[in-house]
Amino acid sequence: MAAKDSSFLGSRIPPEIESMSKNLKDVDHEMFRKILKAVVSALEGKDSREVMKAIAESSAIPQERLSYIISGMYRVLSEAIRIPTSSLKQEAFKEDLRELRIPEDFITDFSSVVFGNRRAALEAASSQKDPHLPTVEDLKWRVDVAISTSSLARALQPSVLMQMKLSDGTFHRFEVPVSKFQELRYNVALILKEMNDLEKRSILKIQD
Amino acid sequence: MADAEAAKRLSGLLNGIAQSVFYQKSDVTEQLLKAELFPELPLGEFTALHDKMKGLLRSMASADMDHAQLEAFLTAQTRKQGSGGVSAEQAAALSRFWKSQRVRVRESVLAQSRWEPGLRGISWRVDLQAADSQGVAAHSGPVALVELEVGRTGQDSEFVCLEFDEARVNRVLKKMADIQESMDRIIQQT
Repeated sequence: MAAKDSSFLGSRIPPEIESMSKNLKDVDHEMFRKILKAVVSALEGKDSREVMKAIAESSAIPQERLSYIISGMYRVLSEAIRIPTSSLKQEAFKEDLRELRIPEDFITDFSSVVFGNRRAALEAASSQKDPHLPTVEDLKWRVDVAISTSSLARALQPSVLMQMKLSDGTFHRFEVPVSKFQELRYNVALILKEMNDLEKRSILKIQD
Repeated sequence: MADAEAAKRLSGLLNGIAQSVFYQKSDVTEQLLKAELFPELPLGEFTALHDKMKGLLRSMASADMDHAQLEAFLTAQTRKQGSGGVSAEQAAALSRFWKSQRVRVRESVLAQSRWEPGLRGISWRVDLQAADSQGVAAHSGPVALVELEVGRTGQDSEFVCLEFDEARVNRVLKKMADIQESMDRIIQQT
């Protein structure tokens, strides 16, 4: 990867980041940190409307400028988080921000969000937004033994009734005969084994 | 030669009755069996034969008779006097039929008393997410995509597609071990 030919922001600096850097000039460090904190929690998927409102009310910065700053900071962080740390080094990131004439103190703070211990939480929050199939939220089961039926005097046949609640809110109920249950269990075990093997192998380490 | 022919017809009749009674093939009717197998037999006689065989097959299926039970049952039937009784040839045909069909009949009869959709199949794949619209997602672990095929007897399947991360697969596997344990307990008791 060509290390320093282009900024992590791409060849064209996004407009909200440019206006952020202009509007950040006389913002004091304490205020910057307050806003940064609110933006980070918004990126983590938390509701930060109240905090933002409090900042807007307590600050001397006009609303309009404040909104430039907030949207610029949001963009800087989300752009930086999407690039794996193996491709975007801390120094390159700082250098890119220096070129935008962002004060050094602020750069340090940005950098500690992107490369510090908040990173994992931010990545997790961002992957929540990816398209997903529903997951199983709850799995209830019951084992029945049919004693007798209308056409079989002594059935004595166990079967499993499963009810799944999915993350999309739907329920699915189905019966699993013993032979199918063995097949299901075998397959689930196989899936887990595949996943474990995958983690052991170096595939996960493939990066550009 | 005539005996072999008669035995063949009789086993044809038994298989035909099984189709309609046990395997839900409604197109195998009494009229069809009469026309195909016993065209020269008077209708009244055929109906009597058909109903007798149907009754016997139902009893055999209901009790899920094993070999010894079947022998005892058929011996008792052959000793019966009059038209209710069973001839030696008929007993032999019933015995042959049951030997090959017992397991299948039991499965099918059990399925007739199953009303919830049943699990028909499972297919799956394990993926590694390589990227997303926010960028490279090298941070996420493997993901299992699972498709469950479920359906009611005689109806088309429905498919339920699900996603699991490793922790979720682990949880499901643990539950399946619990289920297995509880089934093992039942089997030990009976």
